[in-house]
Amino acid sequence: MRADYLTLRGSLAFVEQHGDDTAPPVLCLHTAGQSGVQWRHVAPALAARGYRVVVPDLPGHGRSEPAPGGPVQDLGEYAAWCLELIRTLGLRAPAVVGCSIGGKIALDVAARASDELSRVVAMAADAHTGGRPSAKGLRRELSDVAAPARTDRTHLGTLAVLGRSVPPARAELIATMHRREDPTVSTSDLLGWTAHDLRESLPRITCPAHLVVGDDDLWLDVDRVRWAAERIPGARCTVLAGVGHYPMEEIEGFDAVLDGWLAELTSVPAAS
Amino acid sequence: MTDLGERTGSAPPGTTTGRSFEDFAVGERWTAGPRAVTADDLAAFTRLSGDDHPLHAGPDAILQGPFGVAIAMGLLQGLGIHGDAVLGLLDTHWAYRRPVRVGDVLFLDVTIVRCRRTSRGDRGVVTRHLRLRDDGGETVQEGTTSALIAARTTGGDPPGRAFGTVPWAEALVARLDHGFTEDLATWDGTVALRSGDDEVALRIYRGRVLETVARTPRGATFVLGADPLTWLELVESADNPFMRLAMAGRFTVTGDGYEYLRLTGALHRLADAAREIA
Repeated sequence: MRADYLTLRGSLAFVEQHGDDTAPPVLCLHTAGQSGVQWRHVAPALAARGYRVVVPDLPGHGRSEPAPGGPVQDLGEYAAWCLELIRTLGLRAPAVVGCSIGGKIALDVAARASDELSRVVAMAADAHTGGRPSAKGLRRELSDVAAPARTDRTHLGTLAVLGRSVPPARAELIATMHRREDPTVSTSDLLGWTAHDLRESLPRITCPAHLVVGDDDLWLDVDRVRWAAERIPGARCTVLAGVGHYPMEEIEGFDAVLDGWLAELTSVPAAS
Repeated sequence: MTDLGERTGSAPPGTTTGRSFEDFAVGERWTAGPRAVTADDLAAFTRLSGDDHPLHAGPDAILQGPFGVAIAMGLLQGLGIHGDAVLGLLDTHWAYRRPVRVGDVLFLDVTIVRCRRTSRGDRGVVTRHLRLRDDGGETVQEGTTSALIAARTTGGDPPGRAFGTVPWAEALVARLDHGFTEDLATWDGTVALRSGDDEVALRIYRGRVLETVARTPRGATFVLGADPLTWLELVESADNPFMRLAMAGRFTVTGDGYEYLRLTGALHRLADAAREIA
Protein backbone atom coordinates (compact mmCIF):
# COMPACT_ATOMS: atom_id res chain seq x y z
CA MET A 1 0.00 0.00 0.00
CA ARG A 2 1.13 3.52 -0.66
CA ALA A 3 -0.42 6.68 0.69
CA ASP A 4 -0.13 10.22 -0.60
CA TYR A 5 -1.28 13.67 0.30
CA LEU A 6 -2.42 15.23 -2.97
CA THR A 7 -3.55 18.80 -3.43
CA LEU A 8 -7.08 18.66 -4.81
CA ARG A 9 -9.37 21.65 -5.16
CA GLY A 10 -7.43 23.69 -2.67
CA SER A 11 -6.77 21.28 0.18
CA LEU A 12 -4.68 18.23 0.96
CA ALA A 13 -6.36 14.92 0.25
CA PHE A 14 -5.25 11.65 1.81
CA VAL A 15 -5.34 8.86 -0.78
CA GLU A 16 -4.42 5.19 -0.33
CA GLN A 17 -3.47 3.02 -3.25
CA HIS A 18 -3.14 -0.75 -3.32
CA GLY A 19 -1.90 -3.01 -6.12
CA ASP A 20 -0.18 -2.57 -9.43
CA ASP A 21 -0.37 0.86 -11.14
CA THR A 22 -1.09 -0.85 -14.44
CA ALA A 23 -3.98 -2.95 -13.15
CA PRO A 24 -7.61 -1.90 -13.81
CA PRO A 25 -8.35 0.88 -11.33
CA VAL A 26 -11.19 0.84 -8.79
CA LEU A 27 -12.07 3.98 -6.85
CA CYS A 28 -13.71 3.16 -3.48
CA LEU A 29 -15.79 5.81 -1.72
CA HIS A 30 -16.73 5.82 1.95
CA THR A 31 -19.98 6.75 3.72
CA ALA A 32 -21.15 9.93 5.49
CA GLY A 33 -18.77 11.17 8.17
CA GLN A 34 -16.50 8.15 7.82
CA SER A 35 -13.21 7.58 5.95
CA GLY A 36 -11.35 5.19 3.70
CA VAL A 37 -10.71 3.02 6.75
CA GLN A 38 -14.07 1.39 5.95
CA TRP A 39 -12.29 -0.30 3.01
CA ARG A 40 -9.26 -1.49 5.06
CA HIS A 41 -10.04 -5.20 4.65
CA VAL A 42 -11.42 -5.00 1.14
CA ALA A 43 -8.76 -2.81 -0.50
CA PRO A 44 -5.67 -5.05 -0.15
CA ALA A 45 -7.70 -8.20 -0.86
CA LEU A 46 -9.22 -6.64 -3.97
CA ALA A 47 -5.76 -5.51 -5.12
CA ALA A 48 -4.57 -9.11 -4.76
CA ARG A 49 -7.31 -10.04 -7.21
CA GLY A 50 -5.70 -7.86 -9.86
CA TYR A 51 -6.96 -4.31 -9.37
CA ARG A 52 -5.38 -0.97 -8.63
CA VAL A 53 -7.51 0.06 -5.65
CA VAL A 54 -7.70 3.77 -4.84
CA VAL A 55 -9.26 4.78 -1.52
CA PRO A 56 -9.50 8.49 -0.76
CA ASP A 57 -10.70 10.23 2.38
CA LEU A 58 -13.23 12.81 1.15
CA PRO A 59 -12.51 16.43 2.17
CA GLY A 60 -12.96 16.93 5.92
CA HIS A 61 -12.91 13.17 6.57
CA GLY A 62 -10.23 10.89 8.01
CA ARG A 63 -6.77 12.31 7.23
CA SER A 64 -7.87 14.75 4.51
CA GLU A 65 -7.97 18.47 5.22
CA PRO A 66 -11.33 20.21 5.29
CA ALA A 67 -12.62 21.67 2.04
CA PRO A 68 -11.62 25.36 1.77
CA GLY A 69 -15.29 26.38 1.91
CA GLY A 70 -16.01 24.39 5.09
CA PRO A 71 -18.03 21.19 5.50
CA VAL A 72 -19.50 20.11 2.17
CA GLN A 73 -23.30 20.03 1.94
CA ASP A 74 -23.54 19.33 -1.79
CA LEU A 75 -22.71 15.79 -2.95
CA GLY A 76 -22.09 17.28 -6.41
CA GLU A 77 -18.98 18.95 -4.96
CA TYR A 78 -17.71 15.55 -3.88
CA ALA A 79 -18.45 14.15 -7.36
CA ALA A 80 -16.43 16.95 -8.99
CA TRP A 81 -13.64 16.29 -6.45
CA CYS A 82 -13.62 12.58 -7.33
CA LEU A 83 -13.39 13.37 -11.05
CA GLU A 84 -10.42 15.62 -10.33
CA LEU A 85 -8.82 12.80 -8.33
CA ILE A 86 -9.34 10.39 -11.25
CA ARG A 87 -7.72 12.86 -13.64
CA THR A 88 -4.89 13.79 -11.25
CA LEU A 89 -3.93 10.15 -10.78
CA GLY A 90 -4.41 9.48 -14.48
CA LEU A 91 -6.75 6.56 -13.77
CA ARG A 92 -7.89 5.15 -17.08
CA ALA A 93 -11.47 3.88 -17.23
CA PRO A 94 -11.77 3.28 -13.49
CA ALA A 95 -14.64 1.50 -11.83
CA VAL A 96 -16.24 3.70 -9.16
CA VAL A 97 -17.67 1.92 -6.12
CA GLY A 98 -19.32 3.69 -3.22
CA CYS A 99 -21.64 3.17 -0.30
CA SER A 100 -24.37 5.45 1.08
CA ILE A 101 -23.30 9.02 0.20
CA GLY A 102 -20.36 7.32 -1.54
CA GLY A 103 -22.84 5.34 -3.65
CA LYS A 104 -24.75 8.45 -4.55
CA ILE A 105 -21.50 10.27 -5.35
CA ALA A 106 -20.50 7.31 -7.55
CA LEU A 107 -23.79 7.64 -9.46
CA ASP A 108 -23.23 11.38 -9.82
CA VAL A 109 -19.68 10.82 -11.14
CA ALA A 110 -21.13 8.34 -13.65
CA ALA A 111 -23.84 10.82 -14.69
CA ARG A 112 -21.19 13.49 -15.27
CA ALA A 113 -18.55 11.39 -17.00
CA SER A 114 -19.70 7.88 -17.95
CA ASP A 115 -17.33 7.94 -20.92
CA GLU A 116 -14.38 8.16 -18.53
CA LEU A 117 -15.50 5.19 -16.39
CA SER A 118 -15.58 1.46 -17.00
CA ARG A 119 -18.49 0.82 -14.58
CA VAL A 120 -20.14 1.97 -11.40
CA VAL A 121 -21.33 0.07 -8.32
CA ALA A 122 -23.58 2.10 -6.01
CA MET A 123 -24.41 0.46 -2.69
CA ALA A 124 -27.04 1.70 -0.21
CA ALA A 125 -27.94 4.62 -2.44
CA ASP A 126 -31.02 5.77 -4.32
CA ALA A 127 -31.59 8.74 -6.63
CA HIS A 128 -33.57 10.85 -4.18
CA THR A 129 -34.38 10.25 -0.53
CA GLY A 130 -37.74 12.01 -0.66
CA GLY A 131 -36.68 14.26 2.21
CA ARG A 132 -35.64 11.64 4.74
CA PRO A 133 -33.94 12.45 7.06
CA SER A 134 -35.38 15.94 7.36
CA ALA A 135 -33.08 18.80 6.39
CA LYS A 136 -34.65 20.94 9.11
CA GLY A 137 -33.71 18.45 11.81
CA LEU A 138 -30.21 18.03 10.38
CA ARG A 139 -29.62 21.78 10.30
CA ARG A 140 -30.55 21.93 13.97
CA GLU A 141 -28.05 19.12 14.63
CA LEU A 142 -25.28 21.32 13.19
CA SER A 143 -25.45 23.21 16.45
CA ASP A 144 -23.64 21.25 19.16
CA VAL A 145 -26.04 22.31 21.88
CA ALA A 146 -28.89 20.76 19.89
CA ALA A 147 -27.16 17.42 19.38
CA PRO A 148 -27.16 15.61 22.73
CA ALA A 149 -25.73 12.10 23.13
CA ARG A 150 -24.27 12.33 19.63
CA THR A 151 -21.75 9.53 20.27
CA ASP A 152 -24.33 7.14 21.70
CA ARG A 153 -26.66 7.84 18.80
CA THR A 154 -23.93 7.20 16.23
CA HIS A 155 -22.92 4.00 17.99
CA LEU A 156 -26.40 2.58 18.60
CA GLY A 157 -27.72 4.02 15.34
CA THR A 158 -25.00 2.21 13.40
CA LEU A 159 -25.84 -1.06 15.15
CA ALA A 160 -29.50 -0.51 14.24
CA VAL A 161 -28.79 -0.33 10.50
CA LEU A 162 -26.46 -3.36 10.31
CA GLY A 163 -27.83 -6.58 8.83
CA ARG A 164 -29.05 -9.63 10.73
CA SER A 165 -26.22 -11.69 9.30
CA VAL A 166 -23.43 -9.64 10.93
CA PRO A 167 -21.92 -11.44 13.95
CA PRO A 168 -22.14 -9.35 17.19
CA ALA A 169 -18.38 -8.82 17.55
CA ARG A 170 -18.06 -7.55 13.98
CA ALA A 171 -21.11 -5.30 14.45
CA GLU A 172 -19.62 -3.84 17.62
CA LEU A 173 -16.32 -3.13 15.85
CA ILE A 174 -18.09 -1.38 12.97
CA ALA A 175 -20.19 0.75 15.33
CA THR A 176 -17.16 1.62 17.47
CA MET A 177 -15.14 2.66 14.40
CA HIS A 178 -18.04 4.79 13.17
CA ARG A 179 -17.84 6.94 16.30
CA ARG A 180 -14.64 8.45 14.84
CA GLU A 181 -16.47 11.23 13.09
CA ASP A 182 -16.65 15.00 13.10
CA PRO A 183 -20.38 15.55 13.75
CA THR A 184 -20.35 18.79 11.73
CA VAL A 185 -18.93 16.96 8.72
CA SER A 186 -21.25 13.94 9.13
CA THR A 187 -24.31 16.12 9.45
CA SER A 188 -23.26 18.21 6.43
CA ASP A 189 -22.84 14.98 4.46
CA LEU A 190 -26.37 13.95 5.45
CA LEU A 191 -27.71 17.35 4.40
CA GLY A 192 -26.10 16.64 1.03
CA TRP A 193 -27.56 13.13 1.02
CA THR A 194 -31.09 14.28 1.72
CA ALA A 195 -31.01 17.16 -0.79
CA HIS A 196 -29.15 15.61 -3.71
CA ASP A 197 -31.58 14.68 -6.47
CA LEU A 198 -30.25 12.47 -9.28
CA ARG A 199 -33.62 11.44 -10.71
CA GLU A 200 -33.18 13.43 -13.91
CA SER A 201 -29.51 12.47 -14.24
CA LEU A 202 -29.93 8.69 -14.16
CA PRO A 203 -30.52 8.22 -17.93
CA ARG A 204 -27.17 9.92 -18.57
CA ILE A 205 -25.35 7.02 -16.89
CA THR A 206 -24.17 5.03 -19.90
CA CYS A 207 -21.39 2.94 -18.36
CA PRO A 208 -22.46 -0.45 -16.92
CA ALA A 209 -24.06 0.11 -13.52
CA HIS A 210 -25.04 -2.04 -10.57
CA LEU A 211 -27.17 -0.82 -7.67
CA VAL A 212 -26.99 -2.85 -4.48
CA VAL A 213 -29.09 -2.59 -1.32
CA GLY A 214 -29.32 -4.71 1.82
CA ASP A 215 -32.80 -5.79 2.88
CA ASP A 216 -32.01 -4.87 6.50
CA ASP A 217 -31.00 -1.31 5.59
CA LEU A 218 -33.35 0.93 7.58
CA TRP A 219 -32.13 3.99 5.66
CA LEU A 220 -33.09 2.73 2.22
CA ASP A 221 -36.34 1.70 0.63
CA VAL A 222 -35.65 -1.22 -1.70
CA ASP A 223 -38.36 -0.01 -4.09
CA ARG A 224 -36.68 3.38 -4.48
CA VAL A 225 -33.38 1.68 -5.32
CA ARG A 226 -35.13 -0.54 -7.88
CA TRP A 227 -36.80 2.55 -9.32
CA ALA A 228 -33.40 4.22 -9.73
CA ALA A 229 -31.89 1.12 -11.36
CA GLU A 230 -34.75 0.96 -13.84
CA ARG A 231 -33.92 4.45 -15.05
CA ILE A 232 -30.27 3.67 -15.80
CA PRO A 233 -29.94 1.97 -19.18
CA GLY A 234 -29.08 -1.70 -18.64
CA ALA A 235 -28.41 -1.32 -14.90
CA ARG A 236 -28.52 -4.30 -12.55
CA CYS A 237 -30.08 -4.25 -9.12
CA THR A 238 -29.26 -6.65 -6.30
CA VAL A 239 -30.97 -6.96 -2.92
CA LEU A 240 -28.69 -8.56 -0.33
CA ALA A 241 -30.47 -10.67 2.29
CA GLY A 242 -29.46 -10.07 5.89
CA VAL A 243 -27.26 -7.11 5.00
CA GLY A 244 -27.71 -3.54 6.20
CA HIS A 245 -26.31 -0.14 5.24
CA TYR A 246 -22.59 -1.04 5.07
CA PRO A 247 -22.04 -4.11 2.82
CA MET A 248 -18.25 -3.65 2.50
CA GLU A 249 -17.89 -3.69 6.28
CA GLU A 250 -20.58 -6.25 7.03
CA ILE A 251 -19.83 -9.00 4.53
CA GLU A 252 -16.91 -11.29 5.28
CA GLY A 253 -14.81 -11.66 2.12
CA PHE A 254 -16.50 -8.74 0.41
CA ASP A 255 -13.55 -8.43 -2.03
CA ALA A 256 -14.71 -11.63 -3.75
CA VAL A 257 -18.28 -10.34 -3.96
CA LEU A 258 -17.18 -7.03 -5.43
CA ASP A 259 -14.77 -8.76 -7.81
CA GLY A 260 -17.72 -10.83 -9.06
CA TRP A 261 -19.87 -7.75 -9.62
CA LEU A 262 -17.06 -5.92 -11.43
CA ALA A 263 -16.43 -8.94 -13.68
CA GLU A 264 -20.16 -9.17 -14.51
CA LEU A 265 -20.25 -5.51 -15.44
CA THR A 266 -17.25 -5.94 -17.72
CA SER A 267 -19.07 -8.62 -19.65
CA VAL A 268 -22.08 -6.35 -20.15
CA PRO A 269 -21.68 -3.95 -23.06
CA ALA A 270 -22.37 -0.35 -22.19
CA ALA A 271 -25.75 0.83 -23.36
CA SER A 272 -25.48 3.08 -26.38
CA MET B 1 -61.26 -22.92 -3.17
CA THR B 2 -64.98 -22.51 -2.57
CA ASP B 3 -65.00 -25.29 -0.03
CA LEU B 4 -62.91 -23.06 2.22
CA GLY B 5 -65.66 -20.51 2.38
CA GLU B 6 -67.93 -22.20 4.85
CA ARG B 7 -66.00 -22.71 8.07
CA THR B 8 -62.29 -22.66 8.89
CA GLY B 9 -59.95 -22.74 11.87
CA SER B 10 -58.77 -25.61 13.96
CA ALA B 11 -61.39 -25.71 16.67
CA PRO B 12 -61.96 -29.06 18.24
CA PRO B 13 -65.65 -29.43 17.40
CA GLY B 14 -68.08 -28.98 20.24
CA THR B 15 -65.50 -28.39 22.96
CA THR B 16 -64.40 -25.44 25.04
CA THR B 17 -61.18 -25.25 26.96
CA GLY B 18 -62.50 -23.02 29.69
CA ARG B 19 -59.22 -21.09 29.75
CA SER B 20 -59.26 -18.70 32.70
CA PHE B 21 -57.59 -15.30 32.94
CA GLU B 22 -54.45 -16.90 34.41
CA ASP B 23 -54.11 -19.21 31.43
CA PHE B 24 -53.33 -16.34 29.05
CA ALA B 25 -49.83 -14.95 28.74
CA VAL B 26 -48.54 -11.93 26.84
CA GLY B 27 -46.75 -13.20 23.75
CA GLU B 28 -48.94 -16.27 23.12
CA ARG B 29 -49.74 -16.63 19.43
CA TRP B 30 -52.08 -18.56 17.18
CA THR B 31 -52.87 -18.59 13.48
CA ALA B 32 -56.26 -19.42 11.96
CA GLY B 33 -57.44 -19.82 8.40
CA PRO B 34 -57.47 -19.96 5.46
CA ARG B 35 -60.82 -18.27 5.01
CA ALA B 36 -61.85 -17.69 1.39
CA VAL B 37 -64.08 -14.70 0.69
CA THR B 38 -67.05 -15.65 -1.50
CA ALA B 39 -69.74 -13.87 -3.52
CA ASP B 40 -72.22 -15.21 -0.95
CA ASP B 41 -70.26 -13.40 1.79
CA LEU B 42 -70.64 -10.12 -0.07
CA ALA B 43 -74.36 -10.62 -0.68
CA ALA B 44 -75.05 -11.76 2.88
CA PHE B 45 -73.05 -8.98 4.51
CA THR B 46 -74.66 -6.33 2.31
CA ARG B 47 -78.11 -7.67 3.27
CA LEU B 48 -77.24 -7.87 6.97
CA SER B 49 -75.58 -4.46 7.30
CA GLY B 50 -77.74 -2.58 4.83
CA ASP B 51 -74.59 -0.88 3.52
CA ASP B 52 -75.20 -0.95 -0.23
CA HIS B 53 -72.79 1.84 -1.21
CA PRO B 54 -71.72 1.39 -4.87
CA LEU B 55 -68.23 0.37 -3.67
CA HIS B 56 -69.80 -2.89 -2.50
CA ALA B 57 -71.32 -3.86 -5.86
CA GLY B 58 -70.13 -4.84 -9.29
CA PRO B 59 -67.28 -7.01 -10.53
CA ASP B 60 -64.61 -5.13 -8.51
CA ALA B 61 -66.69 -4.88 -5.33
CA ILE B 62 -64.92 -4.23 -2.05
CA LEU B 63 -66.42 -5.88 1.00
CA GLN B 64 -67.61 -3.63 3.81
CA GLY B 65 -64.78 -2.98 6.28
CA PRO B 66 -66.53 -4.57 9.27
CA PHE B 67 -66.80 -7.80 7.30
CA GLY B 68 -63.12 -8.23 8.16
CA VAL B 69 -63.79 -7.69 11.86
CA ALA B 70 -66.64 -10.18 11.69
CA ILE B 71 -64.63 -12.98 10.12
CA ALA B 72 -61.65 -12.18 12.36
CA MET B 73 -63.92 -12.81 15.34
CA GLY B 74 -65.14 -16.03 13.74
CA LEU B 75 -61.61 -17.25 13.04
CA LEU B 76 -60.65 -16.33 16.63
CA GLN B 77 -63.57 -18.30 18.03
CA GLY B 78 -62.65 -21.21 15.76
CA LEU B 79 -59.30 -21.52 17.53
CA GLY B 80 -61.07 -22.83 20.63
CA ILE B 81 -59.01 -20.76 23.06
CA HIS B 82 -62.02 -18.97 24.49
CA GLY B 83 -64.49 -21.02 26.45
CA ASP B 84 -66.82 -20.71 29.40
CA ALA B 85 -64.68 -18.19 31.29
CA VAL B 86 -65.35 -15.37 28.83
CA LEU B 87 -67.68 -12.85 30.47
CA GLY B 88 -67.90 -10.34 27.62
CA LEU B 89 -66.24 -8.36 24.88
CA LEU B 90 -65.06 -4.90 26.00
CA ASP B 91 -63.69 -3.07 22.98
CA THR B 92 -62.32 -3.25 19.45
CA HIS B 93 -59.76 -0.83 17.98
CA TRP B 94 -59.38 -1.45 14.31
CA ALA B 95 -57.59 -0.24 11.17
CA TYR B 96 -58.36 -1.08 7.56
CA ARG B 97 -55.14 -1.42 5.54
CA ARG B 98 -56.19 -3.00 2.24
CA PRO B 99 -59.50 -3.71 0.51
CA VAL B 100 -61.06 -7.18 0.78
CA ARG B 101 -62.60 -8.62 -2.40
CA VAL B 102 -64.40 -11.79 -3.39
CA GLY B 103 -61.82 -14.49 -4.03
CA ASP B 104 -59.34 -13.26 -1.41
CA VAL B 105 -58.00 -15.89 0.98
CA LEU B 106 -57.44 -14.60 4.49
CA PHE B 107 -55.60 -15.77 7.58
CA LEU B 108 -55.74 -14.50 11.15
CA ASP B 109 -52.70 -14.04 13.40
CA VAL B 110 -53.62 -13.71 17.06
CA THR B 111 -51.21 -12.38 19.68
CA ILE B 112 -51.98 -11.83 23.35
CA VAL B 113 -50.60 -8.36 24.09
CA ARG B 114 -52.01 -7.45 27.49
CA CYS B 115 -53.38 -9.31 30.53
CA ARG B 116 -54.60 -7.14 33.38
CA ARG B 117 -56.53 -8.28 36.44
CA THR B 118 -59.34 -5.95 37.47
CA SER B 119 -59.40 -4.33 40.92
CA ARG B 120 -62.05 -6.84 42.00
CA GLY B 121 -59.44 -9.52 41.50
CA ASP B 122 -61.70 -12.33 40.34
CA ARG B 123 -61.54 -11.46 36.64
CA GLY B 124 -59.19 -9.85 34.17
CA VAL B 125 -58.98 -8.12 30.82
CA VAL B 126 -57.16 -9.98 28.05
CA THR B 127 -56.28 -7.94 24.96
CA ARG B 128 -55.74 -9.79 21.72
CA HIS B 129 -53.95 -8.24 18.74
CA LEU B 130 -55.62 -9.55 15.60
CA ARG B 131 -53.95 -9.31 12.21
CA LEU B 132 -55.93 -10.34 9.18
CA ARG B 133 -53.56 -11.03 6.28
CA ASP B 134 -53.85 -12.28 2.74
CA ASP B 135 -52.12 -15.36 1.37
CA GLY B 136 -49.22 -13.13 0.25
CA GLY B 137 -48.58 -12.13 3.86
CA GLU B 138 -49.80 -8.53 3.45
CA THR B 139 -51.77 -7.09 6.35
CA VAL B 140 -55.37 -6.47 5.29
CA GLN B 141 -56.88 -5.35 8.58
CA GLU B 142 -55.57 -5.28 12.13
CA GLY B 143 -56.37 -4.11 15.59
CA THR B 144 -56.90 -5.09 19.16
CA THR B 145 -59.93 -6.35 20.99
CA SER B 146 -60.30 -6.98 24.72
CA ALA B 147 -62.34 -9.57 26.53
CA LEU B 148 -63.29 -9.81 30.19
CA ILE B 149 -62.37 -13.28 31.45
CA ALA B 150 -63.04 -14.95 34.79
CA ALA B 151 -60.05 -15.75 37.00
CA ARG B 152 -59.46 -18.81 39.20
CA THR B 153 -57.27 -17.00 41.71
CA THR B 154 -57.11 -13.44 43.05
CA GLY B 155 -53.56 -12.36 42.28
CA GLY B 156 -49.90 -13.19 41.86
CA ASP B 157 -49.74 -12.23 38.18
CA PRO B 158 -46.21 -12.10 36.70
CA PRO B 159 -45.04 -8.47 36.16
CA GLY B 160 -42.40 -9.16 33.47
CA ARG B 161 -44.65 -8.33 30.52
CA ALA B 162 -47.13 -6.02 32.23
CA PHE B 163 -45.67 -3.09 30.24
CA GLY B 164 -46.48 0.38 31.54
CA THR B 165 -47.52 -0.74 35.05
CA VAL B 166 -45.96 0.02 38.41
CA PRO B 167 -45.13 -3.66 39.20
CA TRP B 168 -43.41 -3.92 35.80
CA ALA B 169 -41.45 -0.71 36.40
CA GLU B 170 -40.40 -1.94 39.85
CA ALA B 171 -39.07 -5.16 38.34
CA LEU B 172 -37.34 -3.10 35.64
CA VAL B 173 -35.64 -0.79 38.12
CA ALA B 174 -34.45 -3.77 40.18
CA ARG B 175 -32.66 -5.05 37.08
CA LEU B 176 -30.94 -1.78 36.04
CA ASP B 177 -27.18 -1.94 36.08
CA HIS B 178 -24.44 0.39 37.26
CA GLY B 179 -24.14 1.82 33.73
CA PHE B 180 -27.63 3.28 34.01
CA THR B 181 -26.67 5.02 37.27
CA GLU B 182 -23.51 6.40 35.63
CA ASP B 183 -25.37 7.58 32.51
CA LEU B 184 -27.77 9.56 34.65
CA ALA B 185 -25.32 10.74 37.33
CA THR B 186 -26.06 14.40 36.50
CA TRP B 187 -29.72 14.00 35.60
CA ASP B 188 -32.81 15.17 37.45
CA GLY B 189 -36.13 14.37 35.86
CA THR B 190 -38.89 11.89 35.19
CA VAL B 191 -39.03 9.29 32.43
CA ALA B 192 -42.48 7.92 31.71
CA LEU B 193 -42.91 4.67 29.80
CA ARG B 194 -46.19 4.06 27.99
CA SER B 195 -47.60 0.92 26.43
CA GLY B 196 -50.94 1.63 24.78
CA ASP B 197 -52.91 3.45 27.48
CA ASP B 198 -50.76 2.17 30.35
CA GLU B 199 -48.17 4.60 31.63
CA VAL B 200 -45.70 4.52 34.48
CA ALA B 201 -43.23 7.18 35.62
CA LEU B 202 -39.68 6.73 36.92
CA ARG B 203 -38.68 9.68 39.09
CA ILE B 204 -34.90 9.89 38.69
CA TYR B 205 -32.40 12.00 40.62
CA ARG B 206 -28.62 11.72 40.07
CA GLY B 207 -28.84 8.21 38.72
CA ARG B 208 -31.14 6.88 41.44
CA VAL B 209 -34.75 5.98 40.74
CA LEU B 210 -36.53 7.63 43.68
CA GLU B 211 -39.98 6.33 42.85
CA THR B 212 -41.92 4.29 40.30
CA VAL B 213 -45.44 5.61 40.22
CA ALA B 214 -48.40 6.15 37.90
CA ARG B 215 -47.66 9.89 37.74
CA THR B 216 -45.41 12.46 39.38
CA PRO B 217 -46.59 15.86 40.66
CA ARG B 218 -44.90 17.88 37.92
CA GLY B 219 -45.37 15.35 35.14
CA ALA B 220 -42.76 13.54 33.09
CA THR B 221 -39.78 15.18 31.41
CA PHE B 222 -40.72 13.04 28.45
CA VAL B 223 -42.92 10.04 27.73
CA LEU B 224 -41.58 7.18 25.64
CA GLY B 225 -44.45 5.21 24.20
CA ALA B 226 -45.40 2.43 21.84
CA ASP B 227 -48.27 0.05 21.31
CA PRO B 228 -48.16 -3.22 23.30
CA LEU B 229 -47.18 -5.22 20.20
CA THR B 230 -44.05 -3.08 19.80
CA TRP B 231 -43.12 -3.59 23.46
CA LEU B 232 -43.54 -7.30 22.87
CA GLU B 233 -41.22 -7.13 19.86
CA LEU B 234 -38.74 -5.18 21.97
CA VAL B 235 -38.51 -7.95 24.57
CA GLU B 236 -38.73 -10.91 22.18
CA SER B 237 -36.23 -9.94 19.44
CA ALA B 238 -32.92 -11.76 19.30
CA ASP B 239 -30.96 -8.50 19.88
CA ASN B 240 -32.05 -5.32 21.62
CA PRO B 241 -33.98 -3.59 18.79
CA PHE B 242 -34.71 -0.34 20.65
CA MET B 243 -32.83 1.98 18.26
CA ARG B 244 -34.21 0.23 15.20
CA LEU B 245 -37.77 0.57 16.50
CA ALA B 246 -37.18 4.21 17.51
CA MET B 247 -35.64 5.06 14.12
CA ALA B 248 -38.59 3.41 12.39
CA GLY B 249 -41.00 5.57 14.40
CA ARG B 250 -42.47 2.62 16.29
CA PHE B 251 -41.51 4.25 19.60
CA THR B 252 -42.62 7.84 19.89
CA VAL B 253 -41.80 10.58 22.34
CA THR B 254 -43.82 13.42 23.78
CA GLY B 255 -42.38 16.08 26.05
CA ASP B 256 -38.77 17.25 26.08
CA GLY B 257 -37.21 15.80 22.93
CA TYR B 258 -33.72 17.02 23.75
CA GLU B 259 -33.70 15.25 27.11
CA TYR B 260 -34.96 12.14 25.32
CA LEU B 261 -32.04 12.29 22.89
CA ARG B 262 -29.66 12.96 25.76
CA LEU B 263 -30.83 9.74 27.42
CA THR B 264 -30.33 7.57 24.32
CA GLY B 265 -27.79 5.31 26.04
CA ALA B 266 -29.80 5.10 29.27
CA LEU B 267 -32.98 4.18 27.40
CA HIS B 268 -31.11 1.45 25.54
CA ARG B 269 -30.11 0.06 28.96
CA LEU B 270 -33.73 0.32 30.11
CA ALA B 271 -34.68 -1.76 27.07
CA ASP B 272 -32.01 -4.31 28.05
CA ALA B 273 -33.55 -4.53 31.52
CA ALA B 274 -37.06 -4.88 30.06
CA ARG B 275 -35.80 -7.79 27.95
CA GLU B 276 -34.21 -9.46 30.97
CA ILE B 277 -37.35 -9.39 33.11
CA ALA B 278 -39.63 -10.48 30.26
